[in-house]
Amino acid sequence: MPQIELAGKIYEVDEDGFLQELDKWSEEFANAYAHAEEIEGDLTEEHWKVINYLRNYFQQFGIAPMIRKICKDLKIDMKKLYELFPTGPAKGACKLAGLSKPTGCV
Amino acid sequence: MKKHLKPSDMAMSADCLCPIESGDLSPLPFPYEDFNSRTISPLNPEKVKNLETSLDNTLAVGIPKPASKEEEEVLIRQFLCGLKKLFEKENNWTFLQQLLLSMEHCAKCQTCSEACPVYEMSGKKDIYRPMFRAEVLRRIYNKYLKPGGKITARLTGGIDLNWTTVARLAELSYRCTLCRRCAMACPIGVDNGLITHEIRKLFSQEMGISPKELHEKGTIQHLRVGSSTGMNPLGAKDSIEFIQEEMEEITGYKVEIPWDVEGADILLIHNAGEIISWPENVGAFAIIFQAAGLSWTLSSETAGYDAVNYGVWYDDVQLSRVALRHADIARRLKVKKIVVGECGHAHKALIETADRILTGEINIPRESALVTLEDIVLGGKLQLDPRRNDFPVTLHDPCNYVRLMGIVEPQRRILRKIAPRFREMTPHGVDNYCCGGGSGFAIMSGYNFAEWRNLVSSRKKFLQILNAFENESQAAPKYVCAPCSNCKGAIRDILSYYHAGERSSLYYGGLVELIVNAMESMKKPIIHFGDQPSWT
Repeated sequence: MPQIELAGKIYEVDEDGFLQELDKWSEEFANAYAHAEEIEGDLTEEHWKVINYLRNYFQQFGIAPMIRKICKDLKIDMKKLYELFPTGPAKGACKLAGLSKPTGCV
Repeated sequence: MKKHLKPSDMAMSADCLCPIESGDLSPLPFPYEDFNSRTISPLNPEKVKNLETSLDNTLAVGIPKPASKEEEEVLIRQFLCGLKKLFEKENNWTFLQQLLLSMEHCAKCQTCSEACPVYEMSGKKDIYRPMFRAEVLRRIYNKYLKPGGKITARLTGGIDLNWTTVARLAELSYRCTLCRRCAMACPIGVDNGLITHEIRKLFSQEMGISPKELHEKGTIQHLRVGSSTGMNPLGAKDSIEFIQEEMEEITGYKVEIPWDVEGADILLIHNAGEIISWPENVGAFAIIFQAAGLSWTLSSETAGYDAVNYGVWYDDVQLSRVALRHADIARRLKVKKIVVGECGHAHKALIETADRILTGEINIPRESALVTLEDIVLGGKLQLDPRRNDFPVTLHDPCNYVRLMGIVEPQRRILRKIAPRFREMTPHGVDNYCCGGGSGFAIMSGYNFAEWRNLVSSRKKFLQILNAFENESQAAPKYVCAPCSNCKGAIRDILSYYHAGERSSLYYGGLVELIVNAMESMKKPIIHFGDQPSWT
């Protein structure tokens, strides 16, 4: 199992860098991982809004929400979402939120 | 590196038995020539240091190398034990007859190779010949399990059985999409696709070796939480409620999606990937069924909202568990029949293969959505204006509908009625080519496997799509109708990999979207090309 070291801690990830277990996630993890997902500077309040929303949704329903649903629920548009997470909501945002890689026929 | 490889070379020590080098792959036309020098990126040595990578420098399964000689011997014994079981009635009653016929009667005429898109597109690499992996299995079986086999092997060309041979064979069973075009082309009916399936089965059922996307994240997750996507029943309901709202916003038509209606005529089961990735497909089904006045329902039971059955690709036990679950849900809901949504392998699993295990009261009638839709569209139950679909359309034939089940005309009769600019691919129908994502490939993307798929196994389909539209301008939006989730996933990835949206204005989607797009009761179109509505 590949590992990465972030802010002095070791995390188990899959070969694409997605965290293996949701409960190993921490805010430090997201902060330290942001740079690798092409986010410049620190995570802002807007980033946290998306990250926390994704984590809540995933815990409740076992999946990441549809992208259109993220935009609607958080009242932001797709363009803004990509500005916040340049590698995209499915990759960058989900990775920082500690969600595992999407599975199944998606 | 040897240019021509024989089945016995599978035992040969080499860092890579069959690399794909720049320029090997079949050329692509304008404006895609810049991809002609592309090849598969090397594996990251750090990430694969304990894995068997010596087949072709790509990994679908990723099998760990044995740590000691003893471990290697145990694994080889397990393999032989599993191989023996494939040929025993009590252990393989489902597929024994077909397996025996295919093992005994191959004349090695290579007609199958000519029919195989992977072999052709790879630049004719010997290891990808459909008969190559079958022949490896045949030689191992003949030498190690048939009485006197070791003696005859000296005369007829044997094969050495070591861990490398076994691990390469496991990987090689995931370089074939099980499209079975080879089986149809074979003059004596040998089914090398079936043999590939049996090899996968041996590895999974006897040795616990399978791609994690199919097993751990696939059937195991499906049975545990309800869907291979990880979506639990609450997630399904939440998502569908959202789709319901979205449909009204997009089309101006109010739809209500029924849940768990006991005694409904139809239980509709979608591939749950549609709910997440192609929600308009789920919404379009609901609009059509509602407008046609059907009595139908979805199920929110665990696995009742996800028609997938990845077991059909690699493991009969898992296949049976999922199929029995589906049938039992329908029985308890007291529906008259199950209709399987736009998902090819779910058709194969639940309608075809499961017929051998569903007996008595759980043998619920199962129907392809294509047939249900044909009844609706041709039976005049919808008011349609085909002029709304005034754009070029071609049809991708999912292998499981056409070659396996013979469902060829319903989708075409629908298209002829609703898409005036429909044209066929060459070839099509039962002679179609696989999308390249068959047998689970569309959802397998570990290591560099997605790249292998886009470059090799999906290449023929990409060429076919380009060819179908060759007389259209690059700028005109075109629609590839692919009525199968797995095929849609593969086609989405092809279009994205080759930048075909930007370069050729290619779009893709299912069949139901095209039907809804032509319905007069829609105030706005469901199909958009980028930001542009398909009609105003």
